Amino acid sequence: MLAYQIRIAWLSLKRNPILSSLSVIAIALGVAVSTAFVTVYYIHSGDPIPTKSDRLFYVEMDSWGPDRPFSRNRPEAPPNQITYRDMKGIMTSEIPTLQSGMFVAGLIVHPPDEDQRPTRERIRMCFADFFPLFEVPFAHGGGWDRISDRGPDPVIVIDTATNDRLFGGGNSVGKTLRIEDRNFTITGVLAPWRPSPRFYDPHTGPNQEPEGIYMPFEFFRIFEVETDGNMLIWDDSDGNTVEEFLASEAIWIQMWVQLDSAGQRQTYLDFLDAYAMEQKKLGRFQRPLNNRLLDVMEWLEDREVVTEEATGMLVISLLFLLVCAVNLIGILLGKFLARAPEVGVRRALGASRGSVFLQHLVECELVGVIGGVLGLGLSALVLRLINRLLDNGDQLALDPTMVATGIGLSLVAGLVAGIYPAWRICRVAPAIHLKLQ
Amino acid sequence: MELGPIFRALMHNPTRFWLIAVEVALTLAIVINCVAIITEQRDLLTRPSGLDEVNLVVVTTQPFADDFADGSFLDTVREEDLRSLRALPGVRAAAALDYLPLAGGGSLTALRAADSEGDGHPAPYFVAGLGALDALGVELVAGRDHIESDMHPGINDPENLIVTQALADRFYPDGDALGKTLTDVDTDQVWGTIVGIIARMHNAWPRSTIAELAMIRPGPANDSRELRYVVRTQPGAMDQVFNELESTVREVNTDRIVRVRLLEDYKRRYFDDELVLVKVLTVLALLLIAVTSLGIIGLTSFSVTQRTREIGTRRALGATRSEILRYFVIEIWVITGIGLILGVVLAYALNFALASLAGAPALNMGLLAAGIGLLWIIGIAAALAPAFQATLVPPVVTTRTV
Repeated sequence: MLAYQIRIAWLSLKRNPILSSLSVIAIALGVAVSTAFVTVYYIHSGDPIPTKSDRLFYVEMDSWGPDRPFSRNRPEAPPNQITYRDMKGIMTSEIPTLQSGMFVAGLIVHPPDEDQRPTRERIRMCFADFFPLFEVPFAHGGGWDRISDRGPDPVIVIDTATNDRLFGGGNSVGKTLRIEDRNFTITGVLAPWRPSPRFYDPHTGPNQEPEGIYMPFEFFRIFEVETDGNMLIWDDSDGNTVEEFLASEAIWIQMWVQLDSAGQRQTYLDFLDAYAMEQKKLGRFQRPLNNRLLDVMEWLEDREVVTEEATGMLVISLLFLLVCAVNLIGILLGKFLARAPEVGVRRALGASRGSVFLQHLVECELVGVIGGVLGLGLSALVLRLINRLLDNGDQLALDPTMVATGIGLSLVAGLVAGIYPAWRICRVAPAIHLKLQ
Repeated sequence: MELGPIFRALMHNPTRFWLIAVEVALTLAIVINCVAIITEQRDLLTRPSGLDEVNLVVVTTQPFADDFADGSFLDTVREEDLRSLRALPGVRAAAALDYLPLAGGGSLTALRAADSEGDGHPAPYFVAGLGALDALGVELVAGRDHIESDMHPGINDPENLIVTQALADRFYPDGDALGKTLTDVDTDQVWGTIVGIIARMHNAWPRSTIAELAMIRPGPANDSRELRYVVRTQPGAMDQVFNELESTVREVNTDRIVRVRLLEDYKRRYFDDELVLVKVLTVLALLLIAVTSLGIIGLTSFSVTQRTREIGTRRALGATRSEILRYFVIEIWVITGIGLILGVVLAYALNFALASLAGAPALNMGLLAAGIGLLWIIGIAAALAPAFQATLVPPVVTTRTV
């Protein structure tokens, strides 16, 4: 029965190609725009690491100065990064399953091809646990081991794009790369990795790509490099030498830990509190005890990663779809009523109102689905355009969920647009139209 | 005027009427809100920064030779770089600067006026070498520019600072900032003395509410080995100068990475999100108006077809073509008008929702009036073609059917 109705609907669409394409275009435009912005919203509000987002925690400790809170707008919030000495202090703990302090540095990289000029690259300085912590996928080799953190040993991990650019792709494990004045051995090449939103660093946009090179944290002392991200300090303890800076109250490090159970989380929080109490005895941590562990989704919400723009565009684009649907009502109404005489004959020959109604609704949904498929294609183009404008790489793209959402939106639009015209046409009184012929 | 018959005809067949009215209403609501957001973002982008933006280009160098670890070597290179840059034909001025205005990365501290209490005010600052005011193109309105002796204050002497008028007013609202000092809120030590006031200059964060608070500290303008210069060209000389810059500093010392980029490019990058939002919303608003016009064309032409016989009858009874045209134009005028009234209500409702969800700006009356005028004209223009079609209906159709 349904197959028959779809066939009839198709014939009816073919009979008036101009009106039919107009209606398809109306839906396609609406679906294209709304799906594109649902995708933007979805990617910003999505879970970047669903397998363990409830077991990864961002560590915040209130080491800020006694006179005023870290944030004037939100006095209850502890600073959003930690000091070097506190990172060293809490990383002695064996409670977390995995843990890594991290920051981003800009260092000079000398390409192996000596004809190319050196470039300044953003490098993530982190510990061995970084890779298992965030389930970073490897194409070749793997991360370095914890012993290399201590040396630190001159080892690095590079991502696919860097590998392609510097070594022409392939398995580059064991090759060396000169960074500043040292040679580093590559222990692993990443497979493409693009957590979205990019969650682990609060100071870079949610659409940015991860860094191309990863290096043991402690090399920052050797290179005497400062963070490329934010460094904040409340007193003037940062001094002039590296040693003074490291002992200072400057906050510039992001700290992530993996805690697998509620018990482990509580134990770790107790440990942090005990650590802070110890520091209080040394005259630090003069503010009220305020340590926080936020899991990934709490952290993203705290950082307000879903931008107001994304929310606004979502609302506007759904209204755009509504206008397209209202437009379609007009087109369908005209089209169906022009067919009243024919429907009159069908009704006189015994077709029930219900079957006439259903027949026309199927036609509307057919328009919806064709428009939806077209719209999804357009939507992919819109997203590519936004990616290009924002320099996003391929961050914004349709995935199966979004394709399903697009089709869903087009079906709803077809229904909204189709119900009234279909109802009107099924109320046609057969007699009048028979008389006219 | 046929207002009476038009209303009765509309009420007789209200569907088409409501469809157009609702579509026009929704369109007005969405377009007005889009334009409000676009205007707000554009204002943010085009706010005068006080800088000679179009003539500024930035040269950043990062050395990779070990010689640069020695501070005095770095100082020598900087001096030579600046001498060569200033000697280039077409260059008006050049100066060393630690961070860039309008580019989104910089330093900030909290200070307060001397003898005041409390949390003070944020004070974003740049550290710059001699000649920075001329190189940035900012206008000095009181006091003096930095001089050589400012560059090397004694260990415990306060620095001599140049601040923007906005910053001076923030700390000293009575307008007597010149010569006064600023104190660090955390250490209670005197930070510096205001020796010069510039009319206007945006700091590193032109999007923020404190964009106009800026302070120039005298100094060697680098904590690391990175050297950065702002070069101001003579008007129109940018193309000629731009390509010379990299080779000019390389001639001084080639063991470094050199990046040459227009200040406007840094600004554009900083405002990336706003620029994209403006483009996307503009396209969306235009698309929406197009869709709505097509809708009006479709519905009017449908109603003309449906009323062929009525039109024929009127023509047979003596109505002229222009009377028929007038009938349809007035009809669409009434429908659009009602839609627009509805649209104003919807626009405010949507604005309320967007403001609470997404921080959208409030609507203003001028914008609303412009939107109403525009859509009214578009509505009538869209209906003209089908209405003209109606005038072509010959009186004889009345005799053909029934």
